[in-house]
Parts: sequence; C-alpha cells; structure tokens
Amino acid sequence: MSAEGTLRNTRSSERRFKYTLIAPSIFVLLLIGIFPLVYLLVVSFQGITMIDNDTSFHGLRNYAAMASDIRLWESLLHTLAFTAIALPLELILGLLMAQLFIDHLPGRQIFVALLVLPVVVSPIVAGATWSLMFDNRFGPINQIIGWIMGQDMTLLWTISPNLVYPAILAAEVWQWTPFMFLLLLAALSAVDKSQLEAASIDGAGYWRIFFRIVLPAIWPVMAVAILIRSLDLFRLFDIVWALTRGGPGTMTETISIFAYVKGFQQFETSYTGAVALMIIIMLSFVVIMALRRVELSR
Amino acid sequence: MNQQSYLHGWQPSRKNLLWVAAIAAALALSACSKDDASESTTTSAVSTEGKSAAQIAVEAAKPLCEDGKTITIVWEAGLQSLDPNNFSGPMWEEATGCKIKVVEVPTSEMFTKIMQEYRANTGAYDALNVIPAWMPDLAQAGALEQLDSYVDKYGYRGELQTIAATYRDNQMTVDGKIYGFPDDGDVFLMYYRKDIFAREDLQTAFKDKHGYDLIVPETWEQFIEIGSFLTDALKDEGVYGASMFREPGYGNFMFQERFRNEGGKFFDVDMKAAVNGPEGVKVLNGWLTENKFMPPGVEKFGFVENLAVFVKGEAAMTISWPPYGRFAAGYLENEEALSWVPKTQIADKVGYALPPGGHPELAAGFALSVASTSKNKEAAYLFIQWLNSEEISNQRVQLPYALRDPFRDSHFTNPGYMALWPDAKDYLAALGEGAQTGLLDLSLIQTDKYEEALRQGISKLWAGDDPQAILDKVASDWDAVTEQVGVDKQRAVYESWAAKSGAYPN
Repeated sequence: MSAEGTLRNTRSSERRFKYTLIAPSIFVLLLIGIFPLVYLLVVSFQGITMIDNDTSFHGLRNYAAMASDIRLWESLLHTLAFTAIALPLELILGLLMAQLFIDHLPGRQIFVALLVLPVVVSPIVAGATWSLMFDNRFGPINQIIGWIMGQDMTLLWTISPNLVYPAILAAEVWQWTPFMFLLLLAALSAVDKSQLEAASIDGAGYWRIFFRIVLPAIWPVMAVAILIRSLDLFRLFDIVWALTRGGPGTMTETISIFAYVKGFQQFETSYTGAVALMIIIMLSFVVIMALRRVELSR
Repeated sequence: MNQQSYLHGWQPSRKNLLWVAAIAAALALSACSKDDASESTTTSAVSTEGKSAAQIAVEAAKPLCEDGKTITIVWEAGLQSLDPNNFSGPMWEEATGCKIKVVEVPTSEMFTKIMQEYRANTGAYDALNVIPAWMPDLAQAGALEQLDSYVDKYGYRGELQTIAATYRDNQMTVDGKIYGFPDDGDVFLMYYRKDIFAREDLQTAFKDKHGYDLIVPETWEQFIEIGSFLTDALKDEGVYGASMFREPGYGNFMFQERFRNEGGKFFDVDMKAAVNGPEGVKVLNGWLTENKFMPPGVEKFGFVENLAVFVKGEAAMTISWPPYGRFAAGYLENEEALSWVPKTQIADKVGYALPPGGHPELAAGFALSVASTSKNKEAAYLFIQWLNSEEISNQRVQLPYALRDPFRDSHFTNPGYMALWPDAKDYLAALGEGAQTGLLDLSLIQTDKYEEALRQGISKLWAGDDPQAILDKVASDWDAVTEQVGVDKQRAVYESWAAKSGAYPN
C-alpha cells in the first residue's frame, strides 16, 4: 500500500472515530430538539382538541384561524409593549448601577450580593410577593403612599387599567435589572483602564469617553444581555400570571399566557401548536438578526 | 252476572275463609317487608347482606391491598387535602393496608392536571376529585371511569339514594351513567349579624326611611337598601353594610346565581347566548351600586379577604360557602390547621339565611371519581365508596379543617353535628334548605371557555367598562364557543342540563 493510501485510510478511520464520538450527542439533540419541533409541526396541521383527538390532516385551518384571532395579536402586542418598556429600563438602570459599583465602594461585595438576590428568586414567587406588596388592604405600597398623601389610599394596582402595567413593569424591572447589572459590571471591569486614562489626559470629557471607549468596549456583552433579556421578556409569563392572570379582561395577556390558556386550560392542542410554531419562527428570526448584528459590529 | 249477584252467589266455606286469611296475611307481610326494604335504602346505612357500604368497601379492598398497594388521589391543595392526609387516608390504610398518596393541586389547575395525565396515559392518578360542572367534559374526553358496574357489584346504590336530592340527581351522572359520587355540599349562604339586625335604634331608623322592617334581605333590591343604610349608620363604628367576593373567579358563581334569580336564561331557543339581556345588565349594575357601601377595595376580595372582614365584625352581611359559618362560630378555632383564619369576633352573633332570591348557587362542589387510566381501578373505587359512605362521610363533614360540607340527608340532621356550637342546628337547617332550592353551575361541553369569558367580563367591570358592552362581548364569546363545539351538539347538552331540577328556579 502506498503512503497516500495509508494516509487516506488513517483519515477515514479518524473521521469514523470522530463521528462515533459525536453520534450520541447528535442523537440526543435530534431527540430533544428536532423531534419535538417536527411533532409540533405535524400537530399544528391536525385538529386535536379536548373533545376530539382528530389526527387527520386539516391543512392550514389552524394557521387561517390565527389570522382572525384578535386575542392572539393583542397578546403579541402586549408582549412587545412589555419588552419595549422593560428592556430599556432594565438596561439603563443596570448600567447606572454597574457604573456606581465599578468603583471600590466600602461594603461593595455585600451590596452586590444583596442586589443580585432578586435574580435567584423564582419569577412566580416574585410575582406572588409583589401581589402581596400591591394588596390594597395588607400591602405596604398603598400604606406608604397613604402616609405620604396623608389619607387612606385604595389603589387597585392589579385591577385598574391605569395602574396594572406600571405594577407589572415594577415587578419585572425589580427582578431582572440585577441581571443586567451583573453582566455590565463584569463588562465594565474588563474595559482597558489605560485607554480611559489616555483619553482623560487628552482632555476627553465623561460622555465622550463613555460613548467612544466604554460603550464600544462593553457592547458585545451588552448585546448578548439585551438578546437574553429580549427573549426572556418575549416569553414573559410568571410575574403577569401571579399579578393579574392576564387581566383585567385580556389587557395584560402575553403571548405565553395566551398559549398556556389555549393549550393547557382549553386543550386546543393543534391550534396551540400552530401558535407555538409561529412564536418559534419569530424568535428564531430575532435571534438570527441579533447575532448577525453582533457579528457585524465586530 | 252483576256485581251484587256475584257477591251473593259466593258462599264462603271454612276452607275458603282460611285461604282468604292466608293470602291476606301474606300480602300484609309482603307490604311490611317492602316498607322495610325501602326504608333500608333511604334512611339506614345498612346495605346488602346487612353490611354498610363502608364495611363492604373495606372487606373487598383487603385482598386487593395485601401487597401494600398505593392509591393515588388528586385532591384540592390546602385545607381540603388535610382530610385524606390526616384523617381518611390513615384510617383507610389501617383498615385495608392500602396506602393513600395525595396529589395536592390548586383548584384552578385541577382540570388541566387531570386532562394532562389522561392524555399522557401514565396511570399516575387512581382516584380524582372533580368539580361536577367539569364532568361532561371529562367524561366525554374519556378521562373518567364509568362507575355503574362497581356500584352494583359493591351494593352502593342504596346509600347513593341518601345523598341530598340536588346533589344526587344533578352532580353524579352524564347521560344517565354514574361518573362520580357527590362528596361536597357546596352552597352559598347568607351570613348576617343577628345583633345588628336586632338593634332597636336601627330598626326604627330603617322603617322611618324605607317604610318596611329591617329584615334579612329577601330580594336584591332590599339588599341594596339595607346594606346602604347599615353602612351609613355603622361606618363610624367600623362596620359596613355588607362585604362580598368580587374576584372574577368567585364573581363567576355569584353572577350565575343572581342572573337566574333575576329571571335570566343563559341561552335562548336558538342556542344564542342571552347573558347580555336586561337581567345580566341589572346584575352588573347592582354590583357597581353595592360596591359603594362595601369596604374599599372590595373589587379584589376573594375567599380570605372577605372572610377576614366578616369574622372581624367589619361587615353586617356576606354571602359565601359553608365554611364561613363554622369559622365565624369559632368552631375549633384553636385547631392548628386553622391558625390562618382570623380569630372570630362574632361567635354567637351570626345568623344563617338563603341569599336574596332564595335560590343559592351550588357553587363548585366536588365529586369523587376514578381515573380511566388508573391501574388500580377496583381499589380506587372501593376507596371512594368508603369515603363517600354514610358512615365515613358523616365523620368527614365534621372535620373542622377539611372544608367538606354536608351533602347527605343524614348530615343535615346529625345530632353530633348539631351540638358542635350553639347555632349549629340553624346552620344545618339553612344548608339543608339551600340544598333543596340551590342552582347548579352551568355545565356544558368546554364549560371553562364559557366561564373564562364571564371571568374576563367581570374583571373588565372592575376596570371601569360599561356593563352592557361587557356582556355583549361575553355573549359574543359564548356564541363563538358554541359554534366551535357545534350548535346542535351543545344544544343537546344544554337542554339536558336545563332539564335538571336545579338548573333554573322553579
């Protein structure tokens, strides 16, 4: 056998060995990733409901029904509204807190540990806690406002159309701002100090240094943080469920709550499959676009 | 031959007389034994072969439980599940050897969990607590085991007859087949402060203002006038005229009750939703009016908030499920499981009556069923027969913490129960009356979709929307659900439901 043939055999053997090693991982990925997706696709073209286990092909009926389902599009709008308001708030507050703690303040580690606590609380527990906080009889928020105003206040935070969004956003921002804070604190800590000193010596002001040096330096981390929180906010469920269950009416119903109600309370299985597929496609598109932007910015 | 000549033509001999006497005696004995038999099925716990249903269940379960079988039962989380955890479960294990595993699920998730398990077909649940309004959905889906053959096999039909008629006739069957045993006599009662209604100064002032006596309201118009008057008169003493559930989940039941007491029908002859008629609008407008004389923030009141207000003596009237009566009376208030209940300030001051309109909602309730996917159906059935039997249920409804309310004729007249607190006799009498005149929860295919539309409508009411617009939307949502299910299919189910004695006031 020639040296070239030996080399080819060795490479082929190596390739087989490589594929043998990664085969279990691919199998698991297919099992937990691709199979449910394909199954979801199949179910979305069927007519399975609570009372009818109809697995025959129903064409695009569920997708056509989505087009005329006002409640679905409203829930999507509510989700986008929560994302559009909560995300910038969490980002700005997280960045401000990170800027504050970048300097070595006394007791810094203890404060950071305390500030991070909300992130480790389960969102449904956070929602239930805020529900008590907002309670008009026993909650401290109305009492504090009452002391400030000098009279008893009965603000129905989870019922009044004017207060329900601020209530949910307060809980959401309280819980997830520390997440932004942690990531941005780490990113800020990694900014090259010599560049900052050089810019300062050259006479650059605070904002100029921030926008020209700090922001570009932390942007890759910030972009990932924004992406993670966007995806989290898009599947917002627990806090809203604990506070309002999507009410009053369906005024705060998010797309996740809509899918849960349709899928697991009303057992519109095939229709929910179609909704879930739509959400997956939308989120995949957002992730691909976001990652592309991050790549381009490099 | 005419009748007279026929009689005259018959000459009785001694032998004939003996025959007549023997036949008459046999007929008399037969009649007596028939009376005894009918009595044994209506008033006594004794079933076939002289054994009670509880005894039959225990004896039949022993061989099944020899290998230390575990029966898994779904039960409402919280106080309710203390019954199988602390009382009935250990008793059953001691009697039969079968262990009881209780899966506690919040009420709002019970339907979902049961259906999910059924769809997954894991056999994880053996026995179930089912809200009767769900029964058509669960039975049609195939999640519940039909129980008729077990009932016959284990001689339980006799004791089923002693369940109060409203529950027995309306909350046990789907299409004439048994799918669950009614096990909780949930009914709304009005609880009122006897001491306040007896005050002479209030009686005089009220009569001067409204021209009739200060009585426990029998109509909703009276309720508004009396509640408003009492708030004006007693607010400085820290007492409101009334307090009520207003959270949409509870409001759903209260709407259904009051709407029908006002003369409303849920659907017209064409199966179009009729909740947006004048009766429905009157109910919602009535609620808005009443909120003005109720405690601030009443829109958010659920079971616990309303209970706290009432037992602390801050409201003269309220409407709720039976446990309020026990909690307000302070029955076993030192029980550890009830430590969350505010200490009653009004023991011995509480009266019991039917809510205005006289037809209370048989709100929710529970029936015991067997899961169709169970791998221990026989043992699960025997456990629920034992739980539901005269003997055991009479003990269970007296547990102070378990929230199971009287549902058998014998529960309402149980001397032991009547002696639990000074007014327990009146309490049981009111519950018994409610069981006779009570109204069933609406029960259709996909009931929850109808209820959800109503719940959303109620939450919009508290957000300030117009009652007519709210109910128009509810009616539109209901019609959409009916269309989706199939108008004729749903009409058949509705007509079957509407034909029941407790569907609408007679």
